[in-house]
Amino acid sequence: MDCEAARAQLADRLTGTLTPDAAAALEQHLASCDACARDAQDARGMWSALADIPPMPPDSAAMRARFDTIVETKTTSYAWWATYGLQAAAAIVLLAAGFLVGRQTSPAPVADPAIAELREELRATRQMVSLSLLQQQSASERLRGITYTTQIERPDSALVTALLDTLMHDPDSNVRLRTIDALKRFADRENVRRAAVNALAEPTSAPLVQIALIDFLVEANDRNAVTSLRHVADDAMTDKAVRAHAKWGLQQIG
Amino acid sequence: MRAVRDGDVSRLGVLFERYHLALFDFLSRMTGNAGVAEDLVQDVFVRVLKYRATFRDEGRFETWIYRIARNARVDYFKSRRPTESIEDAALDIPEPGAGPAEAIQREREMARLRRALLLLRDDKRELIVLARYRAMRHEQIADMLGIEVGAVKVRLHRAVQELRQIFLELPEEGAKWTAKPRVRNLQIV
Repeated sequence: MDCEAARAQLADRLTGTLTPDAAAALEQHLASCDACARDAQDARGMWSALADIPPMPPDSAAMRARFDTIVETKTTSYAWWATYGLQAAAAIVLLAAGFLVGRQTSPAPVADPAIAELREELRATRQMVSLSLLQQQSASERLRGITYTTQIERPDSALVTALLDTLMHDPDSNVRLRTIDALKRFADRENVRRAAVNALAEPTSAPLVQIALIDFLVEANDRNAVTSLRHVADDAMTDKAVRAHAKWGLQQIG
Repeated sequence: MRAVRDGDVSRLGVLFERYHLALFDFLSRMTGNAGVAEDLVQDVFVRVLKYRATFRDEGRFETWIYRIARNARVDYFKSRRPTESIEDAALDIPEPGAGPAEAIQREREMARLRRALLLLRDDKRELIVLARYRAMRHEQIADMLGIEVGAVKVRLHRAVQELRQIFLELPEEGAKWTAKPRVRNLQIV
């Protein structure tokens, strides 16, 4: 056994997961190699000392109480949507139909405050349904929610925040990709660009998502993204295609 | 978890009882702050509820929930003010108490080691916490991090070596932490 092979097994030696044969071979090497033996001894000393750090005492009762409150709130909220979600969707359809019929039958466009009010109501309902869909467990429902957001003319900050939350936390790469597209029209907002930079640095982001984020940041010409792009381009652990794309992005922002 | 995923949210309480202490231990050792760890445990279960449909039978639940915990922690520190330093984060590192000299010395060494662990780069500290305190097998860690088992072993060993180096560089006696250059390695910054 050479030094490199021995060092690859020192972690197993620490955790006691070496097979008897491997352990014997390693000990034989350590007996003949001072450098590896010193390395192994230092590591074992530190490993053993780590056991002296006691766990922090948890406040289990308080955690349970908070947990129960959260579950109660969430389940109530789910129940509300299960009951009224369909009605809200039906309301949208009726509102939209009424709006369209009204526009068709109206002889000439008039600046009617009632229509403006109706339009505002439609926008608010659409937004409400979008927010609801973004919370759904099914990825296809969340995708529908994102598509819905693109049809809202003046979404308020709650919807943008929900999209950012989806960008950061959604476990489904397709949903995140669609979210990036939906966020493009808000690229002039600093918090949106910042979230894109953060999502790019997120180690669990899929390569496709990272590439889409790089495109987004290049399109937004966000100079604040340079550091993150450089980090991605230089990070040996990052996917090769993503690294190459980050280099391209750096040239574009340049 | 299958029952929770299929709509029986009331069963989430069983999962909470089974995992909240382990998650608290992982998160408190990662953050050095019990209050933050408690908040993060709540966040983990909110996410379990939110993303329960994404759990797949073939995956191991423990690995899945730790993945969620990792993301929750990363997101938490990303959302902090960029200028917030580790000094502001109110680390729960107890001061050595009174007692026999030997006991005080031992407590000081332990506090120093705890500081060294918190100064270690985040990904390296995570490997040590998972392998040492959560007794997670290298294979499971590799699965969770999406890397090869061999890479876990090599990185773990290097992390222990680096921890030792930081530990030896820290002032020995009752000194407050002043190792500014390494602060940037922490996500808290």
